[in-house]
Amino acid sequence: MPVVDPSVFLRLGSHSEKDYFEKVIPFVDGYIIAANLVESTPLACASLVFRFSGKKKNTPYLLDPMTYVFGAYLDPSINVVRHDLDWIKSDQKRKKKPVRDFKRSYKGLGEVFGGPFAEAMCDNENQNAAISPSDLSSDEVITQVSKTVMDYQLQRIPNIFRDVIEDDPVAAELTEGFPLPLAIIAPYFYIEPSEEASWIDINLRMMKETVSLDPDLPVHGVLCLDHSILLEREKIDKIAQNILQTGIKGIWLWISKLNEDELTGDKEINVESTDKCMKLSAVRYLVETLSNQIEVYNMHGGFFSLVLSKFGMKGISHGVGYGEQKDVVPVIGQAIPIVRYYLPNIHRRLGVPDIERCFHSLGIREPNDFYEQICDCAICRGVVNSSVRQFRLFGEMKPPKSGKQRSTQTPDAARRCRFHFLLTRIRERDWVKKVTLQQIVDSLNSSNQKWGNQPTVQRYCPHLKAWGAVLANED
Amino acid sequence: MRPKRETELIYPVARYFMHKGFRWQVTELQFYEYIIDIYGFSRISDLTISVELKIKNWRRAFEQTLVYQLCSDLVLMALPKETVHRVDQGLLKSEGIGLLCVGSNNRCQIIVEPRLSYVMIDTYKRRNIDLLRQERSRAYASR
Repeated sequence: MPVVDPSVFLRLGSHSEKDYFEKVIPFVDGYIIAANLVESTPLACASLVFRFSGKKKNTPYLLDPMTYVFGAYLDPSINVVRHDLDWIKSDQKRKKKPVRDFKRSYKGLGEVFGGPFAEAMCDNENQNAAISPSDLSSDEVITQVSKTVMDYQLQRIPNIFRDVIEDDPVAAELTEGFPLPLAIIAPYFYIEPSEEASWIDINLRMMKETVSLDPDLPVHGVLCLDHSILLEREKIDKIAQNILQTGIKGIWLWISKLNEDELTGDKEINVESTDKCMKLSAVRYLVETLSNQIEVYNMHGGFFSLVLSKFGMKGISHGVGYGEQKDVVPVIGQAIPIVRYYLPNIHRRLGVPDIERCFHSLGIREPNDFYEQICDCAICRGVVNSSVRQFRLFGEMKPPKSGKQRSTQTPDAARRCRFHFLLTRIRERDWVKKVTLQQIVDSLNSSNQKWGNQPTVQRYCPHLKAWGAVLANED
Repeated sequence: MRPKRETELIYPVARYFMHKGFRWQVTELQFYEYIIDIYGFSRISDLTISVELKIKNWRRAFEQTLVYQLCSDLVLMALPKETVHRVDQGLLKSEGIGLLCVGSNNRCQIIVEPRLSYVMIDTYKRRNIDLLRQERSRAYASR
């Protein structure tokens, strides 16, 4: 297994995150923009790419084609596989009448991709609108879909500029040297468990076909699986072997619903029997198997995936303050999430009072104690500058809006938490690069000893033991 | 009758602490992401109290009450008589959390006395007292 230097890619969720990108982009290894965001805000995306990936900054980027959104999905709220694509629809108004129709960005994307994608978008009342494996069974369709998706990544963003500037010769010159993505991502669909074999086949064929189209850039694939499949080692092994035969240069793992750090309770942790450990072990195995020949990334990963660089994981991606885990279909209608403070020692986000409750027993009385035991990043030094009581600014709440019952986090507090997280993530990446696996395992164990005894934090610590066990396992 | 919902415990517990001098009270006071079921203040003793009501899951109540110690002098969990025996009283005593038993006739009895919180942050306490004061003014104004 090759030990590699891990990289961190930031995923742009919306243009409101541009400020974070501006400040952090020089320190990360690249960024990812989703195609639906490009379709909803084409010019803003194109200028962002030009700004961050132009000659001056030259930051690598990827354009995620988001093809999976057109496939069937398991609705988490009713636990039923749905083919109506309702999750990419919204309530809209046409001629003062309410209509439930596809969101503009996805509709636009479907039209640009054409073929089965455009067909899926043409009738908003079709209960079977989703693309199914049978829609993609012929080689012709596979070729057409692969080509369109490849061309999209190569040409869409330069074309946005071309459309706007048209006759301006200076601007036209700029588009000539327009930055290309780091790689072409082959079209991909979620391997929905009820049609697992067909979806695996389709995904592999699309990877292979994109390679055979021979773009000048390396081809990457996305393996978008349900976490449950990780318990079937033989199946995982077979998928890995098949991926290696497609000719792609890199693979992005996306294990839906696998939350690396979510392991609670005080049950005994055993690498061979604890469900979560077995899944994390399977991810490690997948990385070890694939990284001998191709680059392996985790599309929505956290610290554990970063450490898997010691087993060949080339990098991870996530959002500016979230997205270290992502379900293929998000649960809709949840309350606005509070951005919690990322506690560097345990590599997990916690509420401010849960951490503050430990200050007394840990002897954190002065800012210097805080820097020594919690975090000394530039954000924390700026916020906790004269008293440890200022730590509460990471969780600052504002009174509820009229008609609402609950207070919400202030935008400034959320911003502090996000910036602190990003700086910490960059530090983690640099630290992982320079230490050995044994040093990481030792650090996880000592963090567990320190924080696992704190009554308000201990329930957030079992993952430390699990990670240590999975990483140290020599099987 | 055995209570089925936490809200059934509000009245007897609130009344109990009212008699103990915590005359300023509010239910569902937000403290960061947490919601304190009953928060009270005694002007005579200048003490504040937080109570977490639970029907069964005392361990979850324990986790919550530990956090409430940041903003109240005294913290307790209140459970119905039928489940109170499950609680690890030693654990509560070690952290200074009190335990209140609510009987079938709505009578309350202290099983474990709470200790004064040693982690309380005065800013949080004063802010909560201000909220109670505002709540009272609003209640008076609407009469």
